[in-house]
Amino acid sequence: MKKIAAVLGLCGLSAFALDPAQGADWKMDPAGSKLEFIATFEKTAAPGVFKEFDARLRFDPDKPAGSSLDVTVKVTSADMNIADVNKEIRGKDWFDYAGFPQAEFRSTDLRRTEGNRYVAHGALSLKGVKQPLEVPFTWTGSSDGAVMEGELTVKRGAFGIGAGEWAASNVIGADVKVKFKVRLRKAG
Amino acid sequence: MLRNDADSWGAPAKLFHWVMAALILAQIALGVMAASWRVSPTKLELFFWHKSTGMLILALVALRLLWRLANPTPALPAGMPAWERAAAQLSHGLLYVLMIALPITGWIVNSASNIPFRIFWLIPLPAIVAPDKPTADLVALVHGGLFALLALVLVAHIGAALRHHFVKRNTVLERMLPGTWRTP
Repeated sequence: MKKIAAVLGLCGLSAFALDPAQGADWKMDPAGSKLEFIATFEKTAAPGVFKEFDARLRFDPDKPAGSSLDVTVKVTSADMNIADVNKEIRGKDWFDYAGFPQAEFRSTDLRRTEGNRYVAHGALSLKGVKQPLEVPFTWTGSSDGAVMEGELTVKRGAFGIGAGEWAASNVIGADVKVKFKVRLRKAG
Repeated sequence: MLRNDADSWGAPAKLFHWVMAALILAQIALGVMAASWRVSPTKLELFFWHKSTGMLILALVALRLLWRLANPTPALPAGMPAWERAAAQLSHGLLYVLMIALPITGWIVNSASNIPFRIFWLIPLPAIVAPDKPTADLVALVHGGLFALLALVLVAHIGAALRHHFVKRNTVLERMLPGTWRTP
């Protein structure tokens, strides 16, 4: 009996680990959401966006324990608004569209820092590299949904974005700022 | 002597001439290398210096034109044939036009390509046309054509200066050299 309970518990646990956002109670409204990344070129901001991404969230702003967040990003939807650059970033040295078309951030550890500020402790999988990442965000609830907003800095080198000679940071900076605004609606 | 007079160039005019001559030669080398380099951080670095130098040249040529208009222009040697006078005027006019048109077409290419850029990392360069790839490609061709014209006019300009000095043995080259040379 104990054994069965343990097995059942394990199954539950593994199902949870495989899909932390299972039973998400918030769904993203793509029209009101934006995911930007701001690289630097010769110390000048070079902004881009991921046009396609999705966030699924299980979250109670008053009881963040037990929450989970799952963000998938279609890396191949990147757009830096410069024709030549958009052509370059598809390649192996940069995002490697062919090898790694999707990135994912998962967190099952969301904590309130103060007021409406939270941090999602999780891991980012990008270009075949999985690294721990903390994503700070503010939560603004309204009658018809909520908005999650935040920004953070990612080191492109940690994920091999800009390989080989591009790893040098004097022309293309090492830091990439990521800004997001996610409009959420209560799932059906 | 700061100001030009009827037969000699003042120090500022000489300084403009030689500083810009050096910048233009460096600019040609940077541009040719940037355009032909394979895509790499070095290529981007070359373009960065080419664009920064171009904007510096544009600012300098504006000041230089003001200075030239505010000063007398030393006369060409007496007895110069009419065709030589016309050629001198045409080539000098063309050099000024090209010193303005080359940076401006480069600026248009940069704007149309939508590349963020700060001159020497300091001054953000505003866009003068909307981002548009066909515009960028077309104006890049014009920029290259103007460069070819500049190369021709420079050969004529340098050739004429040397001819004045070594063949016609007049003071046209000498009076642009640094120093306190005066017409006797």
